[in-house]
Amino acid sequence: MSEAASPTEQTLHGLYREHRSWLERWLYQRLGNRWDAADLSQDTFLRVLASPQVLSELREPRAYLLTVGKRLLVNFHKRRSLEQAYLEALANLPEAQMPSPEQRWLLLETLQALDELLDGLPPAVRRAFLWSQLEGLNYAQIAERLAVSERTVKRYMAQAYEHCLLVDL
Amino acid sequence: MNRTFSRESRQLARTAARWLALLDSGRASADDLQRLQCWRAASPQHEQIWQRAEGLRQRFQEVPPSLAMASLDRPEPNRRTLLKRGLMVAVLLPAGWLLSQQTPLQALRADLRTAVGERRGVRLADGSLLQLNTATAVDLDLVHQRLTLVEGEIALNVSRAQALHVELGMARVSVGQAQVCLRRDAEQCRIGVLHGSVQVRPRHGAALALQAGDQLTISADGSGAMDRFDPHQPDWRDGVLSVNDQPLGQFLRELSRYRPGWLRWEPALESLKVTGTFRLDDTDRVLTLLAASLPLAVQARSRYRITLVPWQKAA
Repeated sequence: MSEAASPTEQTLHGLYREHRSWLERWLYQRLGNRWDAADLSQDTFLRVLASPQVLSELREPRAYLLTVGKRLLVNFHKRRSLEQAYLEALANLPEAQMPSPEQRWLLLETLQALDELLDGLPPAVRRAFLWSQLEGLNYAQIAERLAVSERTVKRYMAQAYEHCLLVDL
Repeated sequence: MNRTFSRESRQLARTAARWLALLDSGRASADDLQRLQCWRAASPQHEQIWQRAEGLRQRFQEVPPSLAMASLDRPEPNRRTLLKRGLMVAVLLPAGWLLSQQTPLQALRADLRTAVGERRGVRLADGSLLQLNTATAVDLDLVHQRLTLVEGEIALNVSRAQALHVELGMARVSVGQAQVCLRRDAEQCRIGVLHGSVQVRPRHGAALALQAGDQLTISADGSGAMDRFDPHQPDWRDGVLSVNDQPLGQFLRELSRYRPGWLRWEPALESLKVTGTFRLDDTDRVLTLLAASLPLAVQARSRYRITLVPWQKAA
């Protein structure tokens, strides 16, 4: 460490030295894969670095690291489960409809962005919105599938739009 | 994420969202449409958020509906389950589908494994050829163009310029338009280049490029050693082990990787020299051949407990 290191940097270095392998082990136990565990622990420290004001107030560094780490882990699993669902859907496509390898990656990225956009919506709202946007179902059809009134569907749609518009800001 | 928005932007998003929900209902009257036009014209902010809303709808129009539906409407395990141990096992694809050797590997994520004495070749979705030698475990993640050699030995032939990244623990290797042999055990990892050139990033120390004919061995302590790559070394891909004037001890250590059980030899035999080409799928026969050409005898307590001893002791 250089002498010019600020107190924040020093705290971060210390934090990293003392807790990195512990955090990596914790993540590894949940991921079963060292590479991903190392990447996620790295990301966790990067997140902590991005909000340095918190560092000085850390009484329980491990609890804080776990909070950040858990959030990243959940996001990671969401991306993975999306990938998985996507790959399975791809595998079931007839040969003729198979997108080119380049398109497959691009599409996956687009879907990941849409997934993040919808993240946090209640399941019924999310589903109503997807049926409307992707399958072109009208409100009466959605209402029937969800066993709710058309008014509720309209409210769901407004809620989903509002959510997406705000996240996208 | 818990971002905070100003009251105005919330109000704006809410109004636009209500208009959108009304339009989608298919029940907007001519009067409604007229009022929407007025609202959009009333301020640049209104028009701006309306443009974004249109863009939002456009994004959902651009994806193939069935793929998007299957991906975005997947059953989602809850957060509590996600944080439990060992979840990833459940997310793996069915192995039979992944490991089919006839069809190209469609799967983009897989764990591949060979038993002692087993070899296997797989064609990856990007056209690369991956061959696993005996007792080898590989994690494959082609979504991110990477592969982890957990233990054992692989040969990799990547024809595309876009690199495939291989994690070896003590180093990462980027392989694009190249052919390599990679090996990893608890003590060291070894990178040998058959064709092309590769980038190596050791965990400790500076990155370097290896050319065809180079071999780099990196030990767990971080030290590295450069050698010539023995062109016969990848012969295992054809199921043979070729050596020229190799010390017997070294040969037997190599041979025992392909045999279940243990294989021992008296220290006196260590430096006898072996030359020849041996078939790997019949290692019992290799031992018989050794006994026929060198001054040693095979003492077998069972097929899995074998000791090689010098002649005078065997007598």
